[in-house]
This record gives sequence, structure tokens and C-alpha cells, in this order.
Amino acid sequence: MHIAEGYLPPLHAAAWGVASAPFVVHGVRALTREVKANPESTLLLGASGAFTFVLSALKIPSVTGSCSHPTGTGLGAILFRPPIMAVLGTITLLFQALLLAHGGLTTLGANVFSMAIAGPWAGFGVYWLLRRFDVPLMVSVFFGAFVADLVTYCVTSVQLALAFPDPSSGFLGALGKFGSIFAVTQIPLAVSEGLLTVLVMRLLVKSSKGELTRLGVLLQGGRKSDTTTEAAVR
Amino acid sequence: MLPIDAAAHSNRWRRRHPSEKAALGFGLTLCAVCLPPWPGAVLVAAATLTVLLGPAGVAPRHLWRAFRIPLGFCVTGAIPLLFQVGGPEGFVTFAPGGPVRAGELLLRTSSASLGVLLFAFTTPVSDVLPRLVRAGVPAPVVDVALVMYRISFLLLDAMSRIRQAQAARLGLTTRAAAWRSLAGLGATAFVRAFDRAQRLQAGLAGRGYDGTLRVLVPEAVVSRRFLAATGALLTGLVAVTLVLERSLP
Repeated sequence: MHIAEGYLPPLHAAAWGVASAPFVVHGVRALTREVKANPESTLLLGASGAFTFVLSALKIPSVTGSCSHPTGTGLGAILFRPPIMAVLGTITLLFQALLLAHGGLTTLGANVFSMAIAGPWAGFGVYWLLRRFDVPLMVSVFFGAFVADLVTYCVTSVQLALAFPDPSSGFLGALGKFGSIFAVTQIPLAVSEGLLTVLVMRLLVKSSKGELTRLGVLLQGGRKSDTTTEAAVR
Repeated sequence: MLPIDAAAHSNRWRRRHPSEKAALGFGLTLCAVCLPPWPGAVLVAAATLTVLLGPAGVAPRHLWRAFRIPLGFCVTGAIPLLFQVGGPEGFVTFAPGGPVRAGELLLRTSSASLGVLLFAFTTPVSDVLPRLVRAGVPAPVVDVALVMYRISFLLLDAMSRIRQAQAARLGLTTRAAAWRSLAGLGATAFVRAFDRAQRLQAGLAGRGYDGTLRVLVPEAVVSRRFLAATGALLTGLVAVTLVLERSLP
């Protein structure tokens, strides 16, 4: 869910921009370091970003019969790590605002915070935790994508409730209002995105083991990488 | 290529410097967000539409197709403001002043969306990205964004063709088949993206790639007259809004 252009009051839009900035700057520094060390990774990162952009164009069949699109943040965070995802997500949101009129520039900070920072970090955290407890890869991937999707929408609900508190019950009432509206569609969609991400990952394990190994998702033997935490912290 | 970007490539303001159009489009967006919705957002929307359909020469059909998407989000986003939760009259009731707040929000969002569309319809992304380096964005980030931009269109095109092939092979007839096809589509996009990146890398390596993507940027000079006219328009909108706000009910 992208917050539309002009939806947030100016102060809120600016505040979310300030909140997102450190994460994006951290991601930019990580990306710059990576590109300087390995110039050829520019193309790989560009391809990864394009994949994230295109993923958001996929239509998921919803439980209610309508369609929606995956956020792609869970899969992106598992494959490319949250700091890189913050940058790729920001560029993706910028492209969506300019090329698809989806989202906005004044609301870019808020959208970046929910979709490119909170969602990926939460999803990756759950994925990493489950892998630490030797939970099978596909189960971890499902919960990673599910949580990333759900957290994105929860944060969006908080952003909207802060901007438009309920006249009677204030912030909490508005949070319940926006949260329940999203819950009708987003809990089924989060499950759908989790399932889709598992299916995509299964195909990738079969067809692109080399790339997954290079990205640190798999080791040579197909087991989880122990370096995922280090990469995320870096 | 996506419709908005395709229209921007053939727009009559294409050769103008992007910073001129950014000043105008984003200036109007800022006015829409910061000025009181009534009458500010209405005036900004009217001015933006006049510029879009007049001097900028955007076809009304293209504009409507692009604008109806954010308009849909604006309308659905305004509906929750009509209701309140937990008042003395019931759990969910109509909010006092809800229609006014929803109307103001609708005016603000639709007016702000038009401002961004003004920039998007007149400025291809490929004209903006290389210039961001001069604006202080690190070159590696701009390079990654450039590659993303180029590969995205190829991927979208490939996915559209794969989708057609899946439909022709009855891959969308049942829910289970649709899920399988969708997963295949996502995985194919990943494989194709990496394959493209590797082929690009091989091609660039043969041309002496040193880590910097050099692209030709169309020469354009910033027009002071255009910027002055933009400043006058924005100042005029602010002044008229403040005057009308006091005189209108």
C-alpha cells in the first residue's frame, strides 16, 4: 500500500523523510562500498532492483476474488539484505511515483519507511531467526515474506493514524480503523505473498543455485549461510 | 516502455532542462500540499491542468489514463475520514465534519498528483538520472538506478510475453494453475534479470568497463525566463489563495 501523493500533511511527510534518511544513507554507503570493491556488482544490483520493480507488477489472486500485487520486500530482503533493499526500495518507489503515478514524492519518506525499511528489516529478522533455529529454508522464507508484508501494512496504518487521528477516539481509534480496513485484504494477501515467495524460492533453488550461493542465501551444499547476519550488519 | 515515460519522450518540453520542469511541477505540488485546500488546491489544480493541456501539450486521453490511478487512491483514502470509531452514538458512526475533511483531502491529493504528473509527462527518467550526480547523489547509486531503469522495461516486456504464453497453454484456467504460472513468472523474472546483468557485464567488459556507466545527456540550458514565469505563477497562486481565503466563506 503506497500512501498517495499529498495524502500526508507537510509536517508528517517531512518527519517520515527524516526518519527514513539514516537507513537510506546507511544503505547508500553499503552499496557504494560494494560497487567500489566490485565494479561489476553495479549491474547485478541494477538487475536486482529491476527484479524488485517488476515483482511489484505481478498480480496476486486474492482470497476475496480481486487482485493485488506483492510488495516484494520480503523476497528482496532475503536475497539482497535489508540495507541494500533500503536503497533499491527507494529507487523502486521513486520509479513507481514517476512512471506509474503510484505513491508520491511528498510521501516518499513515509513509503520508504514502511516498504523499504520496516518491512524488509522485520521480514529479514524473522527469516534469520528461524534459520538460526534450523527451521527449513522454505518455512523461514514463508514467514519472512509474510511478516515483511504484514509489517509494511501495519506501519502504513500507524502513519495514517498519526496523520488523521479519529475525532472521537484519537490515535488508537484511527489505528483500529485503518488497521481493520487493511486487515480484511492484507492478512490474506500477506499469506498469498508468503506462498508465492516460497514457490519462487523453490524454483530459484532448482534453477539459480549459483546466484543464490553468490547472494549468500545458500552455501555450496545448499544449506543456509552463516554469514547472513554479518552481511546484514555490514 | 511505460505510457507516461513514452509520452515524456515525445513531449514538446522534452528538450527543456529538467530542473526547470522540476521547479514548476514540484513547486505546484508543494503549493497543493502546503496551501489551504479551499481555495488553494482548487487553484493549483486549475493552473496545473492549464499548463499540462496547454503549453506542455499533454494529450487529455493520456493524462486521464495516468491520473485515474492516483485519483482512485485519493477517493479510497478519503473514505475512512467520513467515519469515527467509539463515539457516544455507536461503535462506528459518521464523523462530524468528516465530509469536509474528506473533501479537503481529496482536493489536496488530486491537486498534488497533477503537479507530479506535470513533471513526469514532460521529463523522461533517462534525462533526470545522469544529472543527479551533479545534485550530489553518489555516482554508484545513479549507475544502479540507470541499470534498473533500462532492465525494467526489458523485464516487463518479457513478462508480458511469458504471461501470454502461459495463458495460451491454459496456465491460468484454474486457481492452482494460476499460482504455478505466477511463481514461474516471478522466478523467470529473477533468472532473466541476472542473465541480462551477466550479458551486459560481458559486453561492457569488452568495451573497457571501469565501473562507471557513461551515457550521453542531451544538452539543455536552464531558461531564466521559464524559471521567472514559474516563480511568478507560484507566487501568484499563493497570493490569490491567501486573498480568497479571507473573502470566501
